[in-house]
Amino acid sequence: MSWSNRLALLLPGAVANDTGGTEPDPRFTFANERTFLAWSRTALALVVAGLAIVQLLPPFPGVPFGRHLLGVPLIALGAVLAVVAYTEWVRNQHALRRGEPMPKSNVPWILAATITGMAIISAIVLLISAVR
Amino acid sequence: MTTRPNPPPGEGARPGPDQGRDQGRDQGRDQGRDQGRDQGRDQGHSQDPARDGPEESIAGLAQERTSLAWTRTAIAFAALGGVVLKANVVTGLIIVAVAPVIWHLGRVTLGTAPAGDRLPAMPVAGATRLFIIAVTIAGVALLCLIVAIFGKSVPGALR
Repeated sequence: MSWSNRLALLLPGAVANDTGGTEPDPRFTFANERTFLAWSRTALALVVAGLAIVQLLPPFPGVPFGRHLLGVPLIALGAVLAVVAYTEWVRNQHALRRGEPMPKSNVPWILAATITGMAIISAIVLLISAVR
Repeated sequence: MTTRPNPPPGEGARPGPDQGRDQGRDQGRDQGRDQGRDQGRDQGHSQDPARDGPEESIAGLAQERTSLAWTRTAIAFAALGGVVLKANVVTGLIIVAVAPVIWHLGRVTLGTAPAGDRLPAMPVAGATRLFIIAVTIAGVALLCLIVAIFGKSVPGALR
């Protein structure tokens, strides 16, 4: 399946017209929706954190680009996470309707790896600014 | 594409090493869960409340939790708008204005269901609402990216 077709399947109209399978138990549908909302809040939290780092923190002595190095990737990850959360919701809803196993998600791994990487970069920036 | 077992709400996937040993037990549990789910479509809850617990077995409570999740998301938008206000007033006001819209979208979930533990009617515009949320967050993040890179910073505000 081409990328354009895959993207078209993610549009709300295509999801609403999905008549395959049967309507799942509302509790599972609500749980899927809450999971999407939780990821959305995580995305917003990343954006807030990134913006606060860039705009509100004092500059790191000796590392003039330090605030942008820490903040910009967090904001970008927030944008990506919001879109990925929606695609995950569509995939999960598709599986729930058909009684299929839930598709494996790599989002938690990506988020954990990014936060770990940012923590390491933060420590390095702080050490450099403390030495200078 | 690899898959993991379809867990009931609130229950995580079982770790891999136990998979073979617990396959039979999982199979039996899955069959029981499917049966409960099928019955739940008719009655609004599974036939095993001891496993589900009262919070999981009543569809009305799941709906209320979802509505509260929408409210938390709206509050998160308002908080983000407050932070952005410090950097860029117009952008901050736009994001703050989005918060009540998000809250209202969440009311759609609450308004389409009957009271009690009966099966709630699912909102027709479910996918559209979630799509709007995802696009809005991505747009707000891009706005914040522009503000972060080109905006005038207020260094030391958190000192």
